Amino acid sequence: MKDKIAEIKKNSIEEITNCKNLKDLNELRVKYLGKKGELTIILRGMGTVSPEERPIIGSLVNELREEIVNLIQEKEKEFKNQELLKRLESESIDVTEPSKKVDLGTLHPITRTIEEVEEIFLGMGYQIADGPEVEKAIYNFDKLNTPPDHPARDVQDTFYITDDIVLRSQTSPVQARVMENQKPPIKIICPGAVYRSDSVDATHSPVFHQVEGLVVDKNISMADLKGTLEMFAQKCLGENTKIRFRPHHFPFTEPSAEADVSCFVCGGKGCRVCKGEGWIELLGCGEVHPNVLKNCGIDPEVYSGFAFGFGVERIAMAKYGIEDMRLLFENDIRFLKQF
Amino acid sequence: MKASREWLEEYSDIDVDTIKLGDILTMTGSKVETIEQKGNDIKNVVVGKILEIKKHPDADKLVVTKVDVGTEKLQIVTGADNIKEGDIVPIAKDGAELPGGVKIKTGKLRGIDSCGMMCSVGELDLDINQYPGQIEHGIMILDKSLEKDLGKDIVDILELKEDIIDFEITPNRPDCLSIEGLGRETAVSLGKKFKNPRKNIDELKVEDKKEIEGLKVDITAPDLCYRYIARVVKNVKIGPSPKWMIKRLNACGVRSINNIVDITNYVMLEMGQPMHAFDINSIDGKHITVRRAKNNEKITTLDEQERILDENDLVIADDKKAVAIAGVMGGLNSEIENDTETVVFESAVFYGGAVRKTAKKVGLRTEASSRFEKGLSPENALRAVNRAVELVEILKAGEVIDGKVDVYPTKQKVNKIKLDADRINSLLGTNISKEEMIDILNKLEIKVEDDIATAPYFRLDIEQLADLSEEVLRFYGYDKLESTLIKCDTTLGLRNKEQKLEQNIKEVLVNSGLSEIYTYGFLSEKDLEKSNISNELKKTAITIKNPLSDEYKLMRPSTIPSMLQILANNANKKNQNVKLFDISRNYKNINGEVEKGEVPLQENILTIGMYGDNIDFYILKGIVENVLEATYINRYDVEKETNNKSYHPGRCANIKVGKDIIATLGEVHPIVLNNYDIEKRVYLAEINITKLEKYSRNNKKYVEVPKFPAVERDIAIIVDEKIEVAQIEKVIMKKAKKLLEQAKLFDIYRNEKLGENKKSVAYSLIFRDKKKTLSDEEVNIMMENIIAELEKTLGAELRK
Repeated sequence: MKDKIAEIKKNSIEEITNCKNLKDLNELRVKYLGKKGELTIILRGMGTVSPEERPIIGSLVNELREEIVNLIQEKEKEFKNQELLKRLESESIDVTEPSKKVDLGTLHPITRTIEEVEEIFLGMGYQIADGPEVEKAIYNFDKLNTPPDHPARDVQDTFYITDDIVLRSQTSPVQARVMENQKPPIKIICPGAVYRSDSVDATHSPVFHQVEGLVVDKNISMADLKGTLEMFAQKCLGENTKIRFRPHHFPFTEPSAEADVSCFVCGGKGCRVCKGEGWIELLGCGEVHPNVLKNCGIDPEVYSGFAFGFGVERIAMAKYGIEDMRLLFENDIRFLKQF
Repeated sequence: MKASREWLEEYSDIDVDTIKLGDILTMTGSKVETIEQKGNDIKNVVVGKILEIKKHPDADKLVVTKVDVGTEKLQIVTGADNIKEGDIVPIAKDGAELPGGVKIKTGKLRGIDSCGMMCSVGELDLDINQYPGQIEHGIMILDKSLEKDLGKDIVDILELKEDIIDFEITPNRPDCLSIEGLGRETAVSLGKKFKNPRKNIDELKVEDKKEIEGLKVDITAPDLCYRYIARVVKNVKIGPSPKWMIKRLNACGVRSINNIVDITNYVMLEMGQPMHAFDINSIDGKHITVRRAKNNEKITTLDEQERILDENDLVIADDKKAVAIAGVMGGLNSEIENDTETVVFESAVFYGGAVRKTAKKVGLRTEASSRFEKGLSPENALRAVNRAVELVEILKAGEVIDGKVDVYPTKQKVNKIKLDADRINSLLGTNISKEEMIDILNKLEIKVEDDIATAPYFRLDIEQLADLSEEVLRFYGYDKLESTLIKCDTTLGLRNKEQKLEQNIKEVLVNSGLSEIYTYGFLSEKDLEKSNISNELKKTAITIKNPLSDEYKLMRPSTIPSMLQILANNANKKNQNVKLFDISRNYKNINGEVEKGEVPLQENILTIGMYGDNIDFYILKGIVENVLEATYINRYDVEKETNNKSYHPGRCANIKVGKDIIATLGEVHPIVLNNYDIEKRVYLAEINITKLEKYSRNNKKYVEVPKFPAVERDIAIIVDEKIEVAQIEKVIMKKAKKLLEQAKLFDIYRNEKLGENKKSVAYSLIFRDKKKTLSDEEVNIMMENIIAELEKTLGAELRK
């Protein structure tokens, strides 16, 4: 019996070790461990073994069985690994082939610019205010210290619907509406479309976009205005941007200023964008005129404020290097897709 | 406003170069547009003497001359015929430069060497009026006395060097539309003393008279004419003005006419007060009345155009007729003629608003009207007329009669403002001492006594503290302002609901591959026609009174035409696969708001427009549904729309919340596409963002993830083609009640074998009870009910 076991051991180890594939391995498993397998047969023949020898033979068979099982498992693992490697190899792909995706769309450069401005002012605690484009003349002009005989009300500049209703020529009427309806502190920006009677060319459009800002509270100063605009310019146009105030005149501010920024293309050295001057005229601004505050129900003896406003297209064009304003409104998909 | 440096120097010492002066004045508020440095563009042109003139051997119209230019003798060929031997002329030598970038080089003219060019007045860019006796087309013949200066630079000899600064003057500063005003700004800006050369005029006392030489004046419209002063000059000798005067006029861009007219222009430039001079004999009854025009009153102005006026316009009239449109232009009937003997100098001040309106109406914006419209000082008017007659005496142009006729019904107000230095510092964010403020204001002739600032007569713009603060800041230095950040109560920087929704929408659309466009809010009637906008909607379009063109005459009541136009432009350029969106407004005058002076309805509209490969109604619908999901529109119905003429009647839907249409989408009507010459199928959606905001409910709550398993059953039914799947779903929903979790349509199949106009619709129905595991029997009963109801109400047939 022992000899038989020893022979099985020798044969099985040799055969399993030399086995070449999973199928043969399974056959070997059946051959030795199956219902009619060689070891099973030995176990069945235990009846013929003397009682003294039974435990010895039994343990010998069990040992061998365990050894064969382990050996097969090991071999099996080896074959599966090989198979996986083969599959992985066969499944290799060309990762540089084109992707399958829905192409992303694009936001218009005007929106991109407005959103950038909005983010900066939202971060400084400003709200975004909006108002009618077809607007009462009283909000577009009168309340902003531009009485009926003022030159700014000329038909050459403003589109009129009736004598009392106009297409807003600035987003300032929004400021007037907010001041009427809200108590200080007021901190708003008003982005939006405005209308002026300009024919379409490379630098003009009868419709363009403005962002105006307004702050009203106690002790709001011209220096605060400069600091705020400096912060804005640095965030929007680059950390090294400098700002310069020049005296100017607007009916709705006093004192008024025009603000230049150091050219964000050449950094102030002088280039084509800044026409060699190193500075780019950015916006008009000033301390809110006391008459405007008064007209909107705010006491100018107690409160003061500043306001500023600039054209979005000009900044967008400078930022993206667009030389003709008409491109912004032509909306050719080959243009739009670039942003 | 142009000013020559030389003229400014009469008012202030200037110890910087002109470019630097321009920078300084810009920083104190007198913005310099350009600086023209005259004479710099003439190089190497010298005084020469013509020694001999000989015929050109090969050209009848040319002559060959020998010219002495001091250092050498040159041979010059010329075609001019106004020269003779011995003439002194300007010679542009080899390498010379002339205005306009012209360069002169030695060359051959018909085979003969010519080593330079003789110059005409025009070639040197000089005003012929400044050089009496010169002719337009011919060589400039210089004075014989210049023979001693042969070879010297013509720029020095004729004193052509002149720096002219062109200022952009803001409308609040009409006083700076004068050399005097700019001179004052220059002096203060440079820290120099203002010299005031007109001290004699300021101190002059002129007697008031009721009439002079029979001339009387009345003002019947004191609201429009604040002051009218007349002075009279007799034995007038009309003639040319002196060279210095012409030169200054020219520097400011004004041409010389004759001494009397030049005096009026000179005074206007010098003091900012427009003047008018007219022949006393052209005044009927020698009685001037400043009155409102009669309706339809006609006057022919100096430019020989007839102008029709009405009672909003102011005229200067005699007893029979209007002789001038006040503040705008004189009448032809009172023009100074060469035989005029007695001249009236008028200096008046009119209400600016009225002058502006009249000037605009008659289409005449003159040097005078552009000054009057900004509001002039009646006090300055007197100085100006006295200065004018002083110039008459200086020019020996006539005999000035003593006295003035001065009607001054509306006195100039003197503005007094309390100087609150602390408030000014608070407004500016500065720390300027009161003494420094007073010093600045005093230099500007704003006198401060006992903390009360009194604005000088020429500064009508100084009305309140804010104006003083600007004056202080201008000369303290805008560049010295610090940069500080505001200190105030915390404010929230947040987007509001609509702004957030708009951002969500943009995100969905960009992620779906759409590109954003910007369109104009205006369009034409034709655009509305082309896109088949309904008559009802068309009626709400708002008309612009003064449009740029017919193309831009209306404010759009619908955004469709704008989108279609952009799609058409892209199609026209052969752009494939165009997917666009636009968030902008429509404008609707629904209940006559505009006529009542009210703001009309302006809704925020999302417009989607697409054409290209793999784009169909359902792709569009998917995008719209995602927009609705992103804006938290939880419940809505999709209904077929067959009457919207802009869309394909079989391929259009409205999306409703209750009865309110919040969106319309569909394929564009072939007729509309044809109108726009688009050959592709176009898909369009309009989504009313204003309404989305109204219905948006962002109230998401967690619902427990189901614990019990679902039962899934497939069902396929054959129905008539015209039955909408929504109808089928309604029936299924009704019968399955709450246990139906989802009815997922997974196939629609059409085949002749199904029968004519039939389709097979297949659903996967998912049932689930949240409280227990559903039994097959329960589901079977529901399925039977569903099938029975589908058969009954929709005539459906179960497909096996």
